[in-house]
Amino acid sequence: MNDVPPQLVAPWRVGIDVGGTFTDMVLRDSAGAVRIFKAPSVPADPSQGVLDVLRLAARELDLPLSALLRNCALLVHGSTVATNTILEKKGAKVGMLTTEGFRDSLEIRRGIRENQWDHRAPFPPVLAPRYLRLPVRGRIAADGSELAPLVSEDVAKAGAIFAAEGVESVAICLFNSFLDGKHERQASEALGKTWAGRWTSLSSDIVPIMGEYERGSTAVVNAYIAPKVTSYLAALDEQLRQLGLPRSLLLLQSNGGAVSVDEVANRPVMLVLSGPAAGVGALKGCAASPDDANFISMEIGGTSCDVMVMAKGDVPVTDQLVIEGYHLATPSVEIHTVGAGGGTIAWVDSAGLLHVGPQGAGAWPGPAAYGLGGENPTVTDAQLVLGRLRPGPLAGGAVTLDHGLARGAIETKLAQPLGLSVEDAAAGVIRLLEQNLLHAVERLSIERGHNPIHFTLVAAGGAGPMHGTAVARALGCKRVLLPRAAGAFCAMGMLQSDVRQDYMQVFIAELDKVDRAAFEAGFAELETKAHAALVRQGFADSGTIQRELDLRYEGQQWSLRVALHANLFDPVAIRRSFEAEHQRLFGHIQPGGRLDITALRVVGCGRLDWSPAASRPPQPKPPAPRQRRPVWIDPRHGWQNVPVYDGGDLRPGCKLAGPLLVEERTTTAFVGPNDHLEIDAADDFLVHLGAVA
Amino acid sequence: MNAALDPVTLALVQNRLDHISHQMGWVMTRTARSPIFSQSHDFSCFIADARGVLISQADGIPIHTGGGGFAVRAILRDFAGAIAPEDVFLLNDPYTAGGNHLPDWVIARPVFIAGRLVAFACNRAHQADIGGGAAGTYNSAATEIFHEGIRLPVLKLIEAGRTREDLWRLLLLNTRLPEALDGDLRAMIGSTRIGAERLALLVEELGPERAAEFFEGVLAHADRRFQGCIARLAKGVWRSEEPVDSDCFEPIDARIAVTLTVGEAHLIVDFAGTSDQVRGFKNSSIANSTSAVFMALASFFEPDLPKNEGAFRSVDIRLPEGTLVNARPPAPMTMNTVFVAHEIVHAVWKALGQALPERASAGWSKAVHAVTAGLRSDGNRYVMYQWAGAPAGGGVEGRDGFHLIGHLITLGGLTLPNLETYEHLYPVRFRRQELRCDSAGPGRYRGGSGCDYEVEVFTPADYAFRGEGVGSPSSFGAAGGKAGAGGEVTLTLDDGKIIHASKYGVARYGPATYRALSPGGGGYGDPRTRDPSSVLRDVRDGIVSVEAAARDYGVAIAVDGRSVDEARTAALRAT
Repeated sequence: MNDVPPQLVAPWRVGIDVGGTFTDMVLRDSAGAVRIFKAPSVPADPSQGVLDVLRLAARELDLPLSALLRNCALLVHGSTVATNTILEKKGAKVGMLTTEGFRDSLEIRRGIRENQWDHRAPFPPVLAPRYLRLPVRGRIAADGSELAPLVSEDVAKAGAIFAAEGVESVAICLFNSFLDGKHERQASEALGKTWAGRWTSLSSDIVPIMGEYERGSTAVVNAYIAPKVTSYLAALDEQLRQLGLPRSLLLLQSNGGAVSVDEVANRPVMLVLSGPAAGVGALKGCAASPDDANFISMEIGGTSCDVMVMAKGDVPVTDQLVIEGYHLATPSVEIHTVGAGGGTIAWVDSAGLLHVGPQGAGAWPGPAAYGLGGENPTVTDAQLVLGRLRPGPLAGGAVTLDHGLARGAIETKLAQPLGLSVEDAAAGVIRLLEQNLLHAVERLSIERGHNPIHFTLVAAGGAGPMHGTAVARALGCKRVLLPRAAGAFCAMGMLQSDVRQDYMQVFIAELDKVDRAAFEAGFAELETKAHAALVRQGFADSGTIQRELDLRYEGQQWSLRVALHANLFDPVAIRRSFEAEHQRLFGHIQPGGRLDITALRVVGCGRLDWSPAASRPPQPKPPAPRQRRPVWIDPRHGWQNVPVYDGGDLRPGCKLAGPLLVEERTTTAFVGPNDHLEIDAADDFLVHLGAVA
Repeated sequence: MNAALDPVTLALVQNRLDHISHQMGWVMTRTARSPIFSQSHDFSCFIADARGVLISQADGIPIHTGGGGFAVRAILRDFAGAIAPEDVFLLNDPYTAGGNHLPDWVIARPVFIAGRLVAFACNRAHQADIGGGAAGTYNSAATEIFHEGIRLPVLKLIEAGRTREDLWRLLLLNTRLPEALDGDLRAMIGSTRIGAERLALLVEELGPERAAEFFEGVLAHADRRFQGCIARLAKGVWRSEEPVDSDCFEPIDARIAVTLTVGEAHLIVDFAGTSDQVRGFKNSSIANSTSAVFMALASFFEPDLPKNEGAFRSVDIRLPEGTLVNARPPAPMTMNTVFVAHEIVHAVWKALGQALPERASAGWSKAVHAVTAGLRSDGNRYVMYQWAGAPAGGGVEGRDGFHLIGHLITLGGLTLPNLETYEHLYPVRFRRQELRCDSAGPGRYRGGSGCDYEVEVFTPADYAFRGEGVGSPSSFGAAGGKAGAGGEVTLTLDDGKIIHASKYGVARYGPATYRALSPGGGGYGDPRTRDPSSVLRDVRDGIVSVEAAARDYGVAIAVDGRSVDEARTAALRAT
């Protein structure tokens, strides 16, 4: 990337991802040229980090900020503001209306705790306290009929209490409202008579799923974050527009798709996975065609690793998401997260066993090598001791790595108690971390019924390309892809995400005896909503609508999702798709077993076509390494003098034999002995794995 | 530690063993037929070394912790010299084959490297039905183990890779749900195959000798970890008792008695003084009682304590024969993994709490839920567990008890249903699932409240009562805390007649309203030291009344109901 800066061709597209330490920005112009920028995040005011990175980019591109923004056809933003509001418990004072008799499901939480054995850990604080969860009379029956009308006096009484208590935001979750939301709408209206607040979150509106706990919990979290998140996003949008951005920014949602600020204003709970979900777009960009998009990705950052499986271009979207112990039923891409990253702490327990993680040193104080006061040895410290990372400035000088501090921490905290040399202790840290990563990938593969051998491993995140080859080898993969922009993978993904919104309706019927009129009417209603949202976002003609069904064998607890081919209702084809999925996931089917539909789903999609990366001129002959340095390879090969290349010197078509290191702007890649590095057509690092011996 | 063991390899082996037992669990969850596995996780996967010592059980229901070794040692005893590659063993009998209770079947697969037995990959799982006097494995009328289902000694289910079809047919013939049993057994066998393959790879990489050394290293590390736990306990002899007041037929005056002797680096858990075995199906087996003790110890100390038998090498458990904790045949025992396991955990927690009060855990209350079975409007039979009316957890230092939580013996690992889902599945309509007032055991950290649960059952149904928590308080207070309120189950029939349910029994009623007041959990610490603002919050939340705040906590609530009357509180607390 240190070539002559290419002349940018307007308009361009920008992705901005706010992380814990850095705010990443990726710009891709109309000719496909890519530029990456990084600025420190400002946790107290994330929009500051966004503006900082835009200013930095403008400066480096030698453009006025207004010109940078004015020529920006699309700005997609992954915002942590929803997640941080939950993490920092800085949301609104929330009141809740529930059906009489059922006000406690939010606090009962179905008894679900994260670690069964850790019974001393309390539940996270309930976001709407019992004295602000107020019962109202009125009841919808299990068939959707009205058993008793809503008693609006109860609502008015509750509203008066909310007003007296200073409640800022109200969640409404009434029993069986997924079948008919009319009582929730009536309650919302009646509430205005005694409570003057503007924020109401209706469970039937946000996620009309069966299950009062998850639906109510989602509405409450939405109510909790809405005032802060929506105001923040509106202000940021307004500011960018004034600075020259021609159209509203788009936000990345938990479902991996983008959405306009206006569309998400009433349901910011959809943004909880905003950053990591961009992995979907990033992986799509790694594939030549959707059918080739069979990837397992590890996105390894400072504290954690997010694992995702993409099969034929598709990452499963589920209704289950847990954030800080709070349950959400929002559509979310399936991501398995483990505490394994560059800042993960290595430690020795009271009985002398070495552990790596799950705790991390965070952005502050970070690894010992940062010299910010961290005393615990981390994975980054081990990499430094092993020669894989270079001492000195990192990530454009935002931090500096001190070799002595890294050594010291590993010496006192690990090597001495274990009776090992500093180098062997550091190597042990790396081996344990890579074992954790391997186990995380194996878990998701087993649970989703995939054999990793048939997938290309993608090792992204700033720390990913350091571990990709070792993990891929242990998995039995033939190759591993190390994206050149690994350290800005999610920001890159944002550029490549489509606009997407998911709609669902509980619909219970036997597949072979379904009432077609009701079935079509249900889908038509969802499609109307999806279409209207696409039109509002500028996809009047170009949007696509996909119908899906949730299905299960009679009596089963969980459903599988099946897409309707060409949106056609063909029970035989639907059964065949269901059986294929059931066989893969559960290892068996029930031939001829009764299939029940449990929900209708519609996915509205607006494609944001993106130009592929510009092809860089091919490499006439392999470049020379910038240096050689002693690097610890693996237990078998020990230390070797390894060539270190500058990423900017490597262009498509270039082939090099390992072992070697490549230093890039946002990452360092490690390629093992017998492995072959190839710069692929997309200008990324593709490593063909050799035999172990 | 063996000085020759490389510490990095030891850590890698420990993680890998745990990962292999997890992998078996993931395969099991994914491939089993009965919802009991995916929903209640009522199974465990474990690995034993060639001596039958449990070396990893990273996954599974807590009450299975540490019991698996008995099963593998029974295999080694009964098939000494006749264990071959590609054999798979099956057993369940708690009296002769190291089982815990009959519904939990163990599948064990030996792992061979170069003709040498190196390990076992195992799976213990609760079957949907195994014959016996009642559908679904729980026969509360049982007075002998013969009423509880088929007894299996150690059997070779697969011999050198060939399934014994005659035996398989015998098993399917002895269940009311042959399809479920067939599917679940296959899932168990499949999961142990994955486990055995992964274990074989590990042992091959290390070589059999070194593998055995590292397995021993993993056990020795766990032992050192637990010795660190023992060192925190006050030395001496600590005694405790937990009442058992029903034999499933009538009230009795019985108890679990524990004498805990804390030595330098050694614990003795002696059950001398425990009552004789009883008529009903609550009697415990050696494997189950040992598991309950392990579960009590592990949960008392550290959640990440390795769950292998090394962790309990320094613990000597004494189970007198003929008592509730080690019954003689043919006493029935299917209920034992819940009751008396709950009582055993309580008794051990009480003794430990005296030796280390700041770590004490107050008692969890016992379940009261009935099981309702009848016909749906379409004529199909349904079975509904009324477990949304769940019991409560007890307080510990730093956290109040959970208001509604799954059985103690799962440490709350059971997910409660959404009522909307149950209204959709069964011919019922819910009226209420709300926290109770003044039911939580008072304490600096109070117990959970339990709940007031009410549901209309529209059609005639059979009610199987398992209300161990009905009647007197079933939790206990710790370190100065108090027990929570007792539980109650009533049925109101169409004619207005009110039935007060007994603890155990089966009865048929017409359309009725079922109501359960689940019992409260115990409190931890002197309630008069509870933070007054927490008491205020409980009063505002309607969990504690103004009167109880003054009486139990010494906290006076101001007349506005929204603040603490500091002066009166100081006066109350001074007395």
